[in-house]
Amino acid sequence: MAVAWIGNREVTGEQAARRAAELLVASSCPVFSLNGDVHAWRAAIMLAERVGAAYDQLDGGVLARELALFTGKGAITVAPGEMRRRADCIVIVGELPAVSRGWMKELVASPPDLSGGGKRDVFRVGTGLGSGKEIAAGDGAAQTLAALRAQLSGRVSAVPVKNIEAFRKALEKAAYTAFVYSGAGLDELGIEMLQGVVADINKTKRAAMVLLPASDDAWGGALVSTWMTGFAPRTGFGRGMPEYDPWRFDVARMIADGEADLHLVMSAGKQALALPRKMNAIAIAHTDKPVTHAAVTIRIGAAGVDHEAVRYSSRTGTLVLVEAAKPSSHLSAMSAIRLIAEALPC
Amino acid sequence: MLTQIKGGQVIDPATNRSGVGDVWFEDGRIVEAPRDRKPDRVIDAAGCIVMAGAIDIHSHIGGGNVNTARLLLPESHRAHMPRPIATPLSNAGWSTFQTGTRYAQMGFTTVVEPAMSPGSALHTHLELADIPIIDKATLAILGNDDFLLSMIRDNASPAMIEDYVSWTVASSRALGVKVINAGAAAAFKDNVRTFSFDDVVPFYGVSSRKIVKTLQGAVNALGIPHPLHVHCNNLGVAGAADTAAVTMAAAEGLPLHLAHLQFYGYGTEGKRKFSSAGAQLAEIVNARPEITVDVGQVMFGQTVTVSSDVMRQFSARGTASPKKSVIHDGDANGGGIVPYNYKPDYYGALQWAVGLELFLLIDDPWRVFFTTDHPNGAPFTAYPAIFRLLMDKEARAEAIATLPKSALAMTTLPSITREYSWDEIAIMTRAAPAKLLGLKDRGTLAPGAVADVAVYRKQDDIANMLGAAAYVFKDGDLVVRDGDVTHYRWGKALRLDTPVEASMRKRMEAFYQERYGLSLDWFTFPDSAILRDEPFAEVACRS
Repeated sequence: MAVAWIGNREVTGEQAARRAAELLVASSCPVFSLNGDVHAWRAAIMLAERVGAAYDQLDGGVLARELALFTGKGAITVAPGEMRRRADCIVIVGELPAVSRGWMKELVASPPDLSGGGKRDVFRVGTGLGSGKEIAAGDGAAQTLAALRAQLSGRVSAVPVKNIEAFRKALEKAAYTAFVYSGAGLDELGIEMLQGVVADINKTKRAAMVLLPASDDAWGGALVSTWMTGFAPRTGFGRGMPEYDPWRFDVARMIADGEADLHLVMSAGKQALALPRKMNAIAIAHTDKPVTHAAVTIRIGAAGVDHEAVRYSSRTGTLVLVEAAKPSSHLSAMSAIRLIAEALPC
Repeated sequence: MLTQIKGGQVIDPATNRSGVGDVWFEDGRIVEAPRDRKPDRVIDAAGCIVMAGAIDIHSHIGGGNVNTARLLLPESHRAHMPRPIATPLSNAGWSTFQTGTRYAQMGFTTVVEPAMSPGSALHTHLELADIPIIDKATLAILGNDDFLLSMIRDNASPAMIEDYVSWTVASSRALGVKVINAGAAAAFKDNVRTFSFDDVVPFYGVSSRKIVKTLQGAVNALGIPHPLHVHCNNLGVAGAADTAAVTMAAAEGLPLHLAHLQFYGYGTEGKRKFSSAGAQLAEIVNARPEITVDVGQVMFGQTVTVSSDVMRQFSARGTASPKKSVIHDGDANGGGIVPYNYKPDYYGALQWAVGLELFLLIDDPWRVFFTTDHPNGAPFTAYPAIFRLLMDKEARAEAIATLPKSALAMTTLPSITREYSWDEIAIMTRAAPAKLLGLKDRGTLAPGAVADVAVYRKQDDIANMLGAAAYVFKDGDLVVRDGDVTHYRWGKALRLDTPVEASMRKRMEAFYQERYGLSLDWFTFPDSAILRDEPFAEVACRS
């Protein structure tokens, strides 16, 4: 079974790593697009530091949107498990990641057992979950949240809010209200407006937000990046020290604007990678054939399937160990990155 | 490699050694001076002070809340520049890499993260594993968790509670137990906004006092070397000295450690109703030998407060500078991140003075510990400047002269002439922390101890001297020379070897399945998850 390719030619993992290292050394502005488990991110950031690369989550726009609240404004949040046990009023805001639907249905069906327990009221803004009373005003979740915040604060809004009185009563009765959201279903200002709603409620009652990231692995990568460099992804080592700038180190922008001259893509996911034709690229991918337009491809297994992994879990709100479901001899993303690092000149 | 550190002024209070002499080590351990062998390496320590590597018992260096604080404060936005020098974290040693590097440069070789949420232990240990050079340890937070509060409410036996505490310490790989504003985080979720020592947690009907006493008893019965580490109620409030006093009185002869006592050293006198109670608290500590404290010294400048005292942090949101904060209701404690700028105004000066009063008025350096509660009072990088304030009364007087007289008038600080000696510094930062934490292999230069050694070249400026060690050895490896890191290595996390009662895992499995709909496997992990060779080292309980 092939483990690596240079162009379309089958090679050993070590040969591919040596070629990848040569490309990294020759590059004046390498950029990394990363998608993987915690250990893969740890290895990739160490490699980025060595070669002076900028790094971002693969397709990092949604993660950047989710991070913006935490880097720019702050939030009032609650752990998912505490929400399950305590929240007697839940609001599903906007579209949620498809993988969270099962957990949301379970949440809606399970009564809270803390703080007296009882039944849960469920509302929704948008169509993210079929059940629950709909809160709606105007076109889209962000607009609804704006009108909702105004009306809950006793201000007038031009657009009426559907079910506002039912929600007002539920809030009044609730001991703890949780708002569940994702960057997949709300833009930056929508997320910030939601935080405003939560902050207002906390003046007299208790409420908090629960983020279900569009990608758990992306959020895990953000945590790793933050502890290793002090900064979230969209960080660059071009000057030897970590620098964070969500515009400047947006890897997609750097490629589009012609600033980057080498693209390393790490993805343990199943989706096919689409690499631009005109740029040198290194692909570390869960694939059984060379990635189109990649100068080097190294085959890796899937985290939590082929090998044990540590991943962020939006179910627990922290990092968890995932045993290998079908252990195999495929390299992990971390191992592939380390092969490249070992091939770099000292 | 047999190494001789030759001709330094060796200060090792654990062995009552203080004078010019040599220190020898080989294979990572201190050894007796050999009679018939020559050293493979000689370090000339003439004109230097030689001490064991320093130990910090309370510094927030890793875990969910610390990482959220990093995330909250990038402060670069689109400025196309690295973190500016005057932003909150420019002095904090803020990444895991910087944390290990800057501690090592000051001669610190072991640091305790004092607030690990047991449910996020894997995250915390992964962060700690990425801190280079130094050894680490954690204290597991209990006292706002449903399992414990329910057991206390239901009058569970002491043995059952000890089993739970022991399981928590073992499964989270902790070195001890901390309780943070006992019961307040649980009460806050029920919309309670203030919480004192004899207040009762809604739903559970147990008081903060009861929680502290229950945990104190369990920690003591289990033989956990470090006494229960208590973050009291009412942190930062004028009049909090009364809370600290009643908490100390509740120790009732059993060991109890009060964290960052400075933040409770506030009375209600004067026209601002905010005065120093540092002298009164020092007097209580002096009279109660079962009490140990760390100070949590404030230094002026920008920092960020990071605490699992979520109720307190929520109430402090209005003081945030810059104006942003994160408040998190966790599965138990949660936490709050509020950036803060300590200004040399009345309030800041008074807080600064209270910390120094505690350092200088608590007589026994074996019972008062050197901390800023990093980063809450100041980043740990402020340590050298604090050492100077403690060891040089003239430097202290110069600093006092720059501060509001109205604030100093509410303290005893200007009248205190004590200066810490080198022996006392070595006790407070080496020998005493090792004793307090039960670390028999460090904090000393006795044969058999790990070869964690700090060598400082004597200078008139104590801050410069202690800020950049001439040599630091970690496990015998030379890691710092002339203030610069010369060698990076991975340290270990020290964890307690607590016994786990056989049925406890089944009870916890049933609890998580029933209450969270998840297997216990979601909350536990094997050592291999850290992906480092030997990430942990065991510390024994008292027999």
